Amino acid sequence: MKEILLKTENLSKSFSNGGNLQHVLKNIDLELYKGDFTVIMGASGAGKSTLLYALSGMDTPTIGRITFGGKVISDLGTDGLALFRKAHCGFVFQQVYLIDTMSVLDNVLVAGLLVNKDKKALSARAGELFEKVGIPEETRRKFPTQISGGEAQRAGIVRALINAPEILFADEPTGALNSKAGLDVLDTLTGFNEQGQSVVMVTHDMRSARRGNRILYLKDGTVLGECNLGKYRPGDEERHRKLSGFLSEMGW
Amino acid sequence: MKKNLLLIRANLRKAKGQAVAIVVLVLLSSLMMNLWLMLSMDYKKNFDRCHDRLNDGHVNLAAYSADEEFREFVMDMLERTPGVTEVSVTDAFCAPASFQYGGGELSQFAVILEKEAAFSREVGKYEITGENSPGSGVYIPMLYGTGNNYAVGDTIELKLFGKPFEYTVCGFFNSTMTGSHNCGILSFLLSGDKFREFSEESCAVESTYISLRLEDKMQGEEIEASLRKVISEEFPDIMLSGNYYEDLTTSRYISQMICAGITGAMAFFVLLIGLVVIASNVVNYIQENMQNLGALKAVGYTGRQLVFSLILQFSGLSAVTAVVGIALSYCIFPALNEMMIAQTGIPYTVRFLPVPYLITVVFSSGIVAAAVYLSAGKMKKIEPITALRQGITTHNFRRNHVPLEKTRLPLQPALAMKTTLSGLKTNITICITMLVLSLILVFSGLMYKNMIMDMKPFIDLIAGESADSCININAGREEEFLSMMESDSRVEKFYLFTNNLDAQHVGGVSLMPSVIEDGTKLNNQKMVIEGRFPEYDNEIVIAIKYAREKELRMGDEITIKIGGKDNNYIITGFSQVTNNLGKDCILTRGGYEKAGSLQNVSYYMNLTDGTDIDAFNSEVTARFGSDVNATFNILAVIEGTGNVYVSLMTIIVIAILVLSGVVIVFVLYLLVRTLLNVKKRDYGILKALGFTTGQLILQTALSFMPSMTISVAIGIFISMQIVNPLTSLFLNEVGIVRCTFEISLVFNIIAGGVLLLFAFAAACLLSLRIRRITPRALLSGE
Amino acid sequence: MKKRFFFVSLLLVFAAELAALLVFAAQDTEWVQDAVAVNEAVQSVQADWDTIERHTNHTALDYVVIDTDGTVLFRTRPGLSESINRAVSHRDTILDLEADGIVVGKIILYNNSAQTLWSAKRAAIIVFAAALFIQCIVCTGYFLYLERTIIRPFHKLKGFARRIADGNLDIPLEMDRQNLFGAFTESFDIMRSELKKARIAEVEANASKKELVAKLSHDIKTPVASIKAASEVGAALADSEKSRENYRQIVCKADQINTLITNLFTATLEELRQLPVVPADIESREVEELLKNADYLHRAVIPEVPGCLLYVDRLRLQQVFDNIFANSYKYADTKIETEVQKGGNYLAISIEDYGGGVSKEELPLLKEKYKRGSRTGQIEGAGLGLYISDYFMKQMKGELVVENGQKGLRVTVRLAISGTI
Repeated sequence: MKEILLKTENLSKSFSNGGNLQHVLKNIDLELYKGDFTVIMGASGAGKSTLLYALSGMDTPTIGRITFGGKVISDLGTDGLALFRKAHCGFVFQQVYLIDTMSVLDNVLVAGLLVNKDKKALSARAGELFEKVGIPEETRRKFPTQISGGEAQRAGIVRALINAPEILFADEPTGALNSKAGLDVLDTLTGFNEQGQSVVMVTHDMRSARRGNRILYLKDGTVLGECNLGKYRPGDEERHRKLSGFLSEMGW
Repeated sequence: MKKNLLLIRANLRKAKGQAVAIVVLVLLSSLMMNLWLMLSMDYKKNFDRCHDRLNDGHVNLAAYSADEEFREFVMDMLERTPGVTEVSVTDAFCAPASFQYGGGELSQFAVILEKEAAFSREVGKYEITGENSPGSGVYIPMLYGTGNNYAVGDTIELKLFGKPFEYTVCGFFNSTMTGSHNCGILSFLLSGDKFREFSEESCAVESTYISLRLEDKMQGEEIEASLRKVISEEFPDIMLSGNYYEDLTTSRYISQMICAGITGAMAFFVLLIGLVVIASNVVNYIQENMQNLGALKAVGYTGRQLVFSLILQFSGLSAVTAVVGIALSYCIFPALNEMMIAQTGIPYTVRFLPVPYLITVVFSSGIVAAAVYLSAGKMKKIEPITALRQGITTHNFRRNHVPLEKTRLPLQPALAMKTTLSGLKTNITICITMLVLSLILVFSGLMYKNMIMDMKPFIDLIAGESADSCININAGREEEFLSMMESDSRVEKFYLFTNNLDAQHVGGVSLMPSVIEDGTKLNNQKMVIEGRFPEYDNEIVIAIKYAREKELRMGDEITIKIGGKDNNYIITGFSQVTNNLGKDCILTRGGYEKAGSLQNVSYYMNLTDGTDIDAFNSEVTARFGSDVNATFNILAVIEGTGNVYVSLMTIIVIAILVLSGVVIVFVLYLLVRTLLNVKKRDYGILKALGFTTGQLILQTALSFMPSMTISVAIGIFISMQIVNPLTSLFLNEVGIVRCTFEISLVFNIIAGGVLLLFAFAAACLLSLRIRRITPRALLSGE
Repeated sequence: MKKRFFFVSLLLVFAAELAALLVFAAQDTEWVQDAVAVNEAVQSVQADWDTIERHTNHTALDYVVIDTDGTVLFRTRPGLSESINRAVSHRDTILDLEADGIVVGKIILYNNSAQTLWSAKRAAIIVFAAALFIQCIVCTGYFLYLERTIIRPFHKLKGFARRIADGNLDIPLEMDRQNLFGAFTESFDIMRSELKKARIAEVEANASKKELVAKLSHDIKTPVASIKAASEVGAALADSEKSRENYRQIVCKADQINTLITNLFTATLEELRQLPVVPADIESREVEELLKNADYLHRAVIPEVPGCLLYVDRLRLQQVFDNIFANSYKYADTKIETEVQKGGNYLAISIEDYGGGVSKEELPLLKEKYKRGSRTGQIEGAGLGLYISDYFMKQMKGELVVENGQKGLRVTVRLAISGTI
């Protein structure tokens, strides 16, 4: 039995849209396990990102409970959530969201220094991570507007991992990238997952989904089905067929 | 036009907060500007209106003589004097008078007239103001009916030649030339019975009170001087007192001018800050709306149209606001007017003044239009295509300020520094605001320290020399008096300081001489601001204002006529005292006695702490009897006149401090708003990374502090250098050319610290909007 | 920015020089004799005349006192003019000294303007030398700065432009972001990379356009072709009138079936057309509100409903609750107990009164149309309430269960939890 990392009960999220309530997530009961590369799929509007943001403590659910390692996080205030995110979560956004006025390195350090006051150790870890994702020294000194999308996203991953979070959340990390850069980013994520990093990724892209070992399919705010694929191996046709079968069953 | 209105509506709706802040700043400045204009333009005219209504004299002379021979001579002379059109001569009694006023004692040369005779004068009429109950008693100037001083039916104790007389106050009168202790001559009107009663008194000196009207009222000074000269040549023993029109237009409005000056300066400061805010607003607006503006240009709006719409928006807003501000100023004016009347003693009715109104509205909207036009220059240069793309043109090299890897600063201050260093416009706005505010701060600190907390520096400046007691004694018993002073243990220090004399600068006006023996003994060493006190009998110190007017320099020799004799003196220094509006001089006793002789001498005394000054004075009077001409409890006199000033200054200081607080809050509000608009995305990201709202608020507030601290430090430093010259600008008319107010560095540093803390707290509170920024906004789709 | 700095410093240096010049020019007027000091000297000597040997100088001036015979009585220091003649040639000031109105001697005040002039000159020279030095430094600095920031980058740019012209777009332009020229070179490099991107994009766009056109034409062609083929085949194969009749028959019957199904569909709908049920997701908390609204006599304690989203039509559910409570008020008129239970896909709300319930035989009939219990007696009613409620609940994917509880009739409303069914 795998260790449960994150658990939701009756998770629902509604948005008020010009007077009428819109229920984006409906009674989601879910368990996420340690070491998994969980992929949340679904058509756009299915509530994938909302789910991700609720799971990661960016947002509070309207109804329901989210438990992280025995601690209920769904009733924390905004500052409590901020502290939770700082301590346990890492994020990769579709638009990357590096701060334009800071160098790439500073973008990473700004997250790191929030947790780790030891600047030397932090710089060393940052260097190590940059090395792993393949961002050279001089690129780290550039500004986000001066580097390519793929580099920016990989820098985003470094920023997300600088505090060694329990879970890495990725929101369509390849959505804004061309296919080559997208592959690099996916490889990076897969690589970290193989070293034990739990990853939760939202995508509507089959090629990205293939990297996960557990695929959840979201439709109209509920988990329509899930599929366990086992560890990713490049070029595994069996896995690919299973995933395609699952997705077409889900009506994708 | 319609198109422009459309644009304006869109702009205003988008920036309600900015509009409110700008409105408040313009409102405050137009309010004060209108007050300033009303005070400075109409208030003095009111003096003229009153003067004409009363057909008041342009020159008034009071002489201690009712001799027929003397009067004939004077009338004859006046007939021969060109420029004199009307004359009134009235029987009167002259006397040095003192009475309780403003919690202290006021002493002034007074003319006592019979009530009916006073009301029936051709020139220099008196009019009754307010309620009155005719009967047996005294009518006093309306100035003393303001505040908590005297009311109809009260008893006033007038000391004439030191002898107390009690009268019932029957009412108040208005007189432009003799209605206040700033006039040189103060009049009291006694009812017929009291007047006759007084004439029986031994101290009653039958006198003549002459008022004359001139063809050209600006000649008063000259004619008064020449009359005095002629009279004193013919009748050297008759003591004369006089005043003239030009002098009083200034002296009766000293506080009003100071108040107007401060209001005006504040109006300009606030307007300046408002303009900076508007300018930075416009620049921000253009930057934020680059794409929209590009789109509008693409649709066919010209750059000029867009600029015009902005100008219309801001100056229209300012014009409307200015009108409201003016309306507000009319609400405040009655209260201010009351305060002013308590200072001037001339009735003034508040009425609508179109000229200040127009000037304020036109000036406010005009200068705002100019500011917008100048700062919107960039708008004309927007090319629709580049603006729409907004890519390459706005791309610029930013330096990575404060690299986190290397900096020793903790994370929060480091991030704040990053914000600070990348916001040039914000820093400029802060800088200008803070420079102005620190000047205001230093100024109010100066007022507080030198006028409110310890009145002495202000009194030194306004009144010249002050001690505890002053006794005027006939020269015959001077030696006896001196030996008594020397042996009295209560007397710490005593020195000669006689100034009820008369001297004439040949080729100039009459200068009121102060005669001293030893300049180093004076309490107020700052009286001579350049050079030194006279030491030898051919040396003189003259008032700096007068010296500048006459272009006299140190070392020059001037001729002074005393008692009909000319003598030359070398100028060894310049003094500034407002006593005689900057027309006085200081001579040594030897220097004065070269020409005239001192009939009586005034000695100033410093007494030991705890000595009852009044008791001391009466003791001396008891011993020397009628040889003591007058005794003054100077401390009480200072308190009397000083308290009125202190309360006025306190109100001004509080008002400007409150105003500065309001200004700083609004400026910060705008800056924080702009900053948050720009940083919304960054703060969202930081929140997603785990920064709490509190941390971000701290960061925002901290980011304002470096430029704020630096500009406050510089501002205080500069202000400390310029505040004295600046204050002397306000006081220039009164005869003060160079202020030497004490400025305490510690005091200013503390005040600056408080200002910074206040600004920091305000910035924190204003950044509470950060709470509303959520990382949810970063959601990719949905 | 830096340019401005240089201009400002140049201007400042100029201003300083100008100021120095003006001061120098204005200094002439400062060389008047200090009349006050002279007077002080004269007066103090006169005051000390009788004891001149004990006289001390209070001023900053140098002077010599002689009597009417020319004898020196006092000198502030040696080396001054000690006779009238020397004094005249040295342009010294000579004044009479009086005692009791009689001239008793003279005071010769030493003229030190030569010294003053010399020191002023020296000061001026130093100031000018310093100003020139600063000016020199500023100019040199500016020249070096221009060299570094403009001329050198231009040289680099030359090579870059040639490569672009040759069509080599791969080599980026090196830039120095510190210098003011950086933005300019940056624009060049952006131009290069934009050109490169444009070239790649052009190739890609051409390829994908072709692909799309090919695919669409194929997709449209296929169904059209098969329809055409089928009709052709059918026409060709229909060799007899009978089979042609059969084709017609098939079409006719198919139409008929279609009409029939449509008719059937509309017919069933017609009956319930007035009562449409439109379920949507609502928050379970709202159900509490509905219960409270229904229990207007406050007979029941409304329990807390666990948080979840429910799939219900708020309006219809209100009608269901209203009906249940009204029934209880009408027939039992007792206290009411409510209970909420969450299980699986349902949220069950049980409402039970103390009225004793109904007989076992009647229980299944209660939900039937126009059926009423035996104990209804004189109480008015149509027997439709529970029938309609049951219909509503079914439409909401829920259920209405009527049973006898321990104390009375127990009605359980089972609401579907959204997302689970």
